[in-house]
Amino acid sequence: MDRVVDLYLNEPATRKRWEAFLSQLDIHNFSDREIDVIDHTLGLLDEDGKLVGTGSIAGNVLKYIAVCNKDAVVGARFNKIVTALQQYLFNERIFHSFVFTKLKYSSSFQHLGFTELAHSDQAAFLESGTPNVEDYLDELPKIADQANKKVTAVVMNANPFTLGHLHLVEEASKSNDLVYVFVVATDLSLFNSQERLKLVQAGLKQLKNVVVVSGEDYMVSSATFPAYFLQSPEDLIQTQTTIDARVFKNIIAPKLNISSRFLGEEPKSHTTSIYNLVLKKELEPSIAVKIIPRLELGGELITATQIRREIKAGNLDQIKSFVPETTFEFIESNLAELQQRIKEGMNINGN
Amino acid sequence: MEIKTTGVAGTLESSDIQIMISKGSNGIELDLDSEVKKAYGDQITKVITETLQKFGLENAKVKATDKGALDCVIEARTLAAAQRATETTDEPKLEVL
Repeated sequence: MDRVVDLYLNEPATRKRWEAFLSQLDIHNFSDREIDVIDHTLGLLDEDGKLVGTGSIAGNVLKYIAVCNKDAVVGARFNKIVTALQQYLFNERIFHSFVFTKLKYSSSFQHLGFTELAHSDQAAFLESGTPNVEDYLDELPKIADQANKKVTAVVMNANPFTLGHLHLVEEASKSNDLVYVFVVATDLSLFNSQERLKLVQAGLKQLKNVVVVSGEDYMVSSATFPAYFLQSPEDLIQTQTTIDARVFKNIIAPKLNISSRFLGEEPKSHTTSIYNLVLKKELEPSIAVKIIPRLELGGELITATQIRREIKAGNLDQIKSFVPETTFEFIESNLAELQQRIKEGMNINGN
Repeated sequence: MEIKTTGVAGTLESSDIQIMISKGSNGIELDLDSEVKKAYGDQITKVITETLQKFGLENAKVKATDKGALDCVIEARTLAAAQRATETTDEPKLEVL
């Protein structure tokens, strides 16, 4: 009988053995970006103590799952390791989990009760457990007769919410009956996800046809997208954006009757400009993509990146003219805390 | 009986079934995944629903991932998941079986 054991990757010998096993099975990316987020790793040992399977947990995501099927019933070890990973999550009171994997393994996970949310030619994104995407969509606020209304959506990280974001949503609000603003839930930004959501809600309160909600796990972020199974790291943005766009187009938009999506033009950020291009290609023609030029104030583009640099430098005066009153008040009263986060290594140059 | 949390029992291994029970408001809403659904889907559904009714649950969302479990296994896993979901594991209601 195979048995499940804990693997502690911070032990060099264990780490080496684990990497060697995965390398045999054609997984070669062990970058810090992938490994640092792992909370726990399990291994499967055969009767001779040989490592024949492994899988890891990062938050609510299953990663680095691999099994050797030599001398075993096909599927048995895979089922065993996935069960053990889920058991670990259940003990942590996490009943909703995700997996990003190579497309060819999507069906293996579907056999274990996972539901595919989207796939591209390289990757598949699946979820398991409760509450699932249907529950998430059921819970979102809706308006009367929504099926016959003009509904659009804006997705933003809003780190933090600026007058540029406000402008984008105002444009969407003018030409639609209802606007969903999905705030990206990933917690890797200077402003944490709760702060970002609150500031977006506060900054858009005056717009009556706008609903601000968390994108939860369904706005797939490049920051957390696992890349270890991709052929090359360059495929990351492309793959992540394709998956993100397809979840939006095939699952989220139909249920909410969303027919368009508003994006901010991206002259400065490389990541976001690729994102916009792929999004347009994926979403159209069923969902119209409207790219709105960036708001300029006094000849200057407003970017959240610039705001974060001013926070680091402590230039409150510079910030004041680029953000709504509600964001400014928050920054003013939490300046020391925000600067402390930057000092502790929070990257402020990304998105 | 009131559901207080999500309760899970069982594994994804051969001959077992994994049952996950969470709050619902529309009777017993069962989502069943099974390789033998065509042949035994009705029977599995009946066993799960009856076990929950005997236990005293009228509303619940149930996700069942079956790997060819026998009825007695399905009953036992359903009961265990229900007791975990209602946080009543300290008073096992074995008479349900």
